[in-house]
Amino acid sequence: MRRALSACLALCLVLGSCAAQKREGTFFAMDTVMDLTVYGDEDILTDTEALIRDLEQRLSVTRPDSEIYALNETGKAALSEDTEALLRRALEICALTDGALDITVYPVVRAWGFTTGAYRVPGAEELAALLEKVDYTKISGLTLPEGVLVDLGAVAKGYAADRAAALWRERGVESGLMNLGGNVYALGTKPGGDPWRVGLRDPFSDATLAALEVTDSAVVTSGGYERYFEEDGVRWHHIIDPAAGTPARSGLASVTVVGAEGTLCDGLSTAFFVMGLDRASALWRTLEGVEAVFVTEEREIFITEGLEGHFQPMNDYKNAEIKVIRRG
Amino acid sequence: MVILAILVLSLAASVYLLTRRPDGRVARIYVDGELVREIDLDALAAPERFTVATDRGENVVLAEPGRIRVESADCPDQVCVRAGWLSDSAAPIVCLPHRLVIELAGETSLDTEVG
Repeated sequence: MRRALSACLALCLVLGSCAAQKREGTFFAMDTVMDLTVYGDEDILTDTEALIRDLEQRLSVTRPDSEIYALNETGKAALSEDTEALLRRALEICALTDGALDITVYPVVRAWGFTTGAYRVPGAEELAALLEKVDYTKISGLTLPEGVLVDLGAVAKGYAADRAAALWRERGVESGLMNLGGNVYALGTKPGGDPWRVGLRDPFSDATLAALEVTDSAVVTSGGYERYFEEDGVRWHHIIDPAAGTPARSGLASVTVVGAEGTLCDGLSTAFFVMGLDRASALWRTLEGVEAVFVTEEREIFITEGLEGHFQPMNDYKNAEIKVIRRG
Repeated sequence: MVILAILVLSLAASVYLLTRRPDGRVARIYVDGELVREIDLDALAAPERFTVATDRGENVVLAEPGRIRVESADCPDQVCVRAGWLSDSAAPIVCLPHRLVIELAGETSLDTEVG
């Protein structure tokens, strides 16, 4: 009996000290704030932060020592495995969305000042000249034609989430939640077995629109309400329609994409926002394993059918009609 | 007997640690990841205004019973000011240029927020 108790006590001590403890960390990277909550070993937070900082160092479009910066300078550069993998995946998503996501829109985004903070409204002639160099199909074999520049900013945080989730799984983590500046990845369930509850921000207020219950999923939102500037009474937001060179006005206020792959969800949330409800729904019907929430400028809410039962409207939207987009 | 007592005590402590709930909504203010101030919003009797000075600039914070916001800031983008009140949301107020984060601990049914 005594021996059994001792063994039990030892087990408690072991479980309490080395096994998966709740660890929380916050840091700034990729121009945003990153929050980690993970049940794992004592090095898991610092290793995750190091992984993300390393990716940022290679993928940043503004850091002169990054691989993407070198690629943009010379048109061809030695790329590490991560950078090449993400560049290839990003080009696939550009093709999948028929250019609604276009990683070569960077010169236009730069002209609007969204990468530097020096906001301005470019003239029509300037935009027309810049748009001539916007076309991801001109990239062949990872070589950039003269004047074409790429920016992986629309998928980098999603990719960072995928890589961090992979690290957590390698390290035996069964429960963890990361929010990389609006790119959420929920690994497993909460310790008690309940799904993670991710709040979706109301684009029209500072409150929460709804809670989404997810496990082993990325959740990514794109909206025009967070980063914008105003000039002559017009609000110009940061999601540029690559076809027009101007901020997308598709009738959507925000788009949230849920799925197993953070990179895809990140790219699709931008593309869906640019496409608008009808085109985005049509594309969604051709995809598997991806779900979405659309909030229109008229404050209507649409969810795709896989989210039924996992989407709980809150606050102003408790009694709102939720329209369901179906495959058939 | 001693071992049994330790075992019971450690179990009781574990149960307490796992089930205790914070009393009210507590706002925590972080600069560059370091906790610089903690305010129990539900214990406030009157509004309180104070300045958080960081190496990168200043944010004037207004705390009222049950809610908190950045009232003004000398940052270039003003995203923190536009974020408005933080009261029932899991999304923190973030001032990226000053690396300032205000978040609510305590009762919220959400684990995180996007958007």
